[in-house]
Amino acid sequence: MTAMVKAEGVHKSFGNVQVLKGIDLEVATGEVFCLIGPSGSGKSTFLRCINHLEKINAGRLYVDGELVGYRQKGQKLYELRDTEVARQRRDIGMVFQRFNLFPHMTALENVTEAPVQVKGESKATARERAGQLLERVGLGDKAKSYPSQLSGGQQQRVAIARALAMEPKLMLFDEPTSALDPELVGDVLDVMRDLAESGMTMIVVTHEMGFAREVGDSLVFMDEGVVVESGHPREVLTDPRHERTKSFLSKVL
Amino acid sequence: MTDLDKKGPQDAPPPAAHPEAIKAIPVRHYGRYVSAVIALAVLAALVWAFAKGDINWGAIPDYFFNDRILRGVRETLILTFVSMAIGIAGGVLLAVMRLSRNPVTSSIAWFYIWFFRGTPVLVQLFVWFNLGFVFDYINLGPVYKDEWSDFMTPFLTALLGLGLNEAAYMAEICRAGLLSVDEGQTEASHALGMSHGKTLRRVIIPQAMRVIVPPTGNEVINMLKTTSLVAAVQYYELLKYAQDIGQTSGATVEVLFLAAAWYLIMTSILSVGQYYLERYYARGSSRALPPTVLQRIKANMLSLSNRPSGGVSA
Repeated sequence: MTAMVKAEGVHKSFGNVQVLKGIDLEVATGEVFCLIGPSGSGKSTFLRCINHLEKINAGRLYVDGELVGYRQKGQKLYELRDTEVARQRRDIGMVFQRFNLFPHMTALENVTEAPVQVKGESKATARERAGQLLERVGLGDKAKSYPSQLSGGQQQRVAIARALAMEPKLMLFDEPTSALDPELVGDVLDVMRDLAESGMTMIVVTHEMGFAREVGDSLVFMDEGVVVESGHPREVLTDPRHERTKSFLSKVL
Repeated sequence: MTDLDKKGPQDAPPPAAHPEAIKAIPVRHYGRYVSAVIALAVLAALVWAFAKGDINWGAIPDYFFNDRILRGVRETLILTFVSMAIGIAGGVLLAVMRLSRNPVTSSIAWFYIWFFRGTPVLVQLFVWFNLGFVFDYINLGPVYKDEWSDFMTPFLTALLGLGLNEAAYMAEICRAGLLSVDEGQTEASHALGMSHGKTLRRVIIPQAMRVIVPPTGNEVINMLKTTSLVAAVQYYELLKYAQDIGQTSGATVEVLFLAAAWYLIMTSILSVGQYYLERYYARGSSRALPPTVLQRIKANMLSLSNRPSGGVSA
């Protein structure tokens, strides 16, 4: 299997605060890769580095063999232009903790927006596929609703459909269920499980240990900007080797 | 924690079949009666004073649709909309400059706004009007060359004075609107691969409009009234024509009333337009759109006719 995402010594700091202190990891194609850790451990920041929403300060980050945000010629790195960064992001879907749906568009328009505006798809094709995607996340009847008329769980499922509309090769989930009422979490996780079964490569920052154990192929525990422990979810979650992992898991499980 | 004594539905007392409607004597607000009487008395005194005054009321309908007045109304409207267009275009440009990461453009925008907001618009109008004392010619190289007095007509003076001043205010309104949109919207658009321009056009501006439109409506109404200042730089609009008629016909105060009435009519029409614009940009922000004026009138009529005849009797 080839690596979809490869991180080599990724560093990131905000001002004087070092958030990532050298992350090395590999995400294989088709894998469901879960990132867990206490808040402030840098897991969300790392996720945002993968589609260049944050610029890394040191190290290298590759998606599908391509350097993210830069072009390397010999020893020199050149920053990519905005349009080139945008092209890289097309293939990477992202789902946010706070959904970030476009509130002035209906659910359907949210899903068709990027295919039409970015890929130049015809409105008719985009609409047809958006309808199928909304059907797939169980919201076929909500196409004409505005985000404010939907529950949090429904909004998040529209957000997933919106990301899928670009037919990405990689999906990033940034705590997709953290802003949801407990009874709405299940629907979103079901959609994600379904997506994982379809073979999508997914990197999921989550606090849902049940989901990680059941669906995840690999799991990484991060703390204070470094990878503390990684392995198969069931092993790490049931039999953690590091003290830090143990104490974290004892608090959340 | 102690175990809470949970009550099942069977433990609840059976609900009364029809609880008696409350018939209480409402609190009397004597202060309200007193203030209403005082206000009415002052109003009556004012009306009486004007009725007793030496006002030739007949002059108002006589001149209401006078040719010169109508021409003035047209000029006022043209001036309002063209200067507003300059103001909005300039305002958007200045707002984008002000928010840009380029320190030169953002400082220039800051300086522009500082200058034009910090000086009275009447002074600015006089400056534009009197620039002829400083410049003899306008020379834009091969593009345009003319004597200053031919170039700077009263219309252009009025337009530049009002439009450039308005741009400074619109810039601040637009900036506030753009900043009001959640950062997550930009991130979501970028994550989908949208460019900066597309993000701005398709996602940020439509949402910023909800914040920008209401104050802009106010600005249009303000502009309509501010146009009367250009009478001071010899531009003929509603007020200037009215003053002219006042001087020749001797009905000085009457035509001012007339002008005021025309201004009121125009601002009222603009207010209705603004309501519908705001309604349009409220899409998606509230669960139900606010009713249109017609719907509201209908609803009010229905609630009047359906008002229960019994109700609470005082």
